[in-house]
Amino acid sequence: MKSPAISICRILLPALLPALLLGACGANSVVISGSFPTPNIGKLPISLAVVYDDNLQEFTYTEYSETGQEEYYIQSGQSHIQLFNAVLPAMFDDVTFVDNVEAAAGAGVDAVFVPNIEEFQLALPAKTRLDVYEVWIKYNMRLLTAEGDYLADWELTSYGKTPTETFLTTESAINDAAVVALRDLASTFALSFSRVPEISAWLANR
Amino acid sequence: MKYPEGVTGKLVSLVPVWVLMLCAGCTSTTVDEFRQGETGIASNETVVILGRRQVSSYETSADFVECVGDRIAQGANGLSVVPEQEFLDAMFPWFEPRTAPLRTQDLARLMTEEQVALTMRGFGIRYIIWLDGFTETIDRSGSISCTVAPGGAGCFGFGSWEDDASFSARIWDVNNYNAVGTISTDATGQSYVPAIVIPIPLIARVEANACQRLGDQLKSFVLGS
Repeated sequence: MKSPAISICRILLPALLPALLLGACGANSVVISGSFPTPNIGKLPISLAVVYDDNLQEFTYTEYSETGQEEYYIQSGQSHIQLFNAVLPAMFDDVTFVDNVEAAAGAGVDAVFVPNIEEFQLALPAKTRLDVYEVWIKYNMRLLTAEGDYLADWELTSYGKTPTETFLTTESAINDAAVVALRDLASTFALSFSRVPEISAWLANR
Repeated sequence: MKYPEGVTGKLVSLVPVWVLMLCAGCTSTTVDEFRQGETGIASNETVVILGRRQVSSYETSADFVECVGDRIAQGANGLSVVPEQEFLDAMFPWFEPRTAPLRTQDLARLMTEEQVALTMRGFGIRYIIWLDGFTETIDRSGSISCTVAPGGAGCFGFGSWEDDASFSARIWDVNNYNAVGTISTDATGQSYVPAIVIPIPLIARVEANACQRLGDQLKSFVLGS
């Protein structure tokens, strides 16, 4: 006697197969999320206005397969804002968040900080043949006077990796590697800020 | 005792499986200890175990670090261990992969930072144990093929591989900023997966054995016994 379940499968499988194959064609979306600790460092006696421009807030990166198909669509803007929101108040005496550089003029601050992402790279084990997922991010940081004049403009890079594990999905691994990269950004930024030559000179002259 | 003929035949046919199951438990582990200074720990002092993550091609697994921490905290003379992530978050950004001290002189310099020294004292850290290493599969052979058909599914074949776990632990005394010793462990073991309809994994617990032996050795090292 034939099992009804087998009969149903025989009917449904040919119908479902094209749908499953088509489903595999879309890019997988990864929204980077994580928690970031507050830096355990002394505060600088500076009042700072921070501008998150649209490029940072809406930053996305698309990883393409070797055949040119969209493979992963990574949204990382909000995680960067969450990171800066945790780090900056621990680094400076007073931090104000403003919509744009012009709005900082009336805020009575010492300087305006504008972070931006310049480049984002992802390395997947399937392509590198290494047992790690890697994320590399390049930033452009700008520090301006309250009136919008140049104070400093410097580049930072951050790197994060996470090893492959049996039950770890690619999306989770990308997220974990990106969170490590964000922690790397925060640690480098916090420890190197006052060593940037222009900032060091500006702090000495205040 | 005499078994009926059919039962004896079945038992004989299972002999290779029994042999494999016995061998699966066979992991060889070696531990080397190099002592550079006296150790001992007071009841109000703690240790923290941290994984080295500077190298780009591998990183010391957080699970292995946790396993060793659990092992040395066990038992009547178990040590008080500060969880790795809790320590890293409290010490942020001083112990991140790019900023962590690589030598005891770097630790001495780091401790001149008021916040770092305060947090270290708050945790009561006496020893920092740096774990560095990884587990790799060094030899893989055999193959298993599985078939799914409307009438059923099944696998047939045989696979085996050898795992090698190699870890070293460097122990720093936070009171004197000295390296007091190094313990290395190397564990190897062969795993098998015979498949006759159903695959039966017979896994050598290489990393678990390395964790157990390293944890026990670290505990007696820190206690000075």
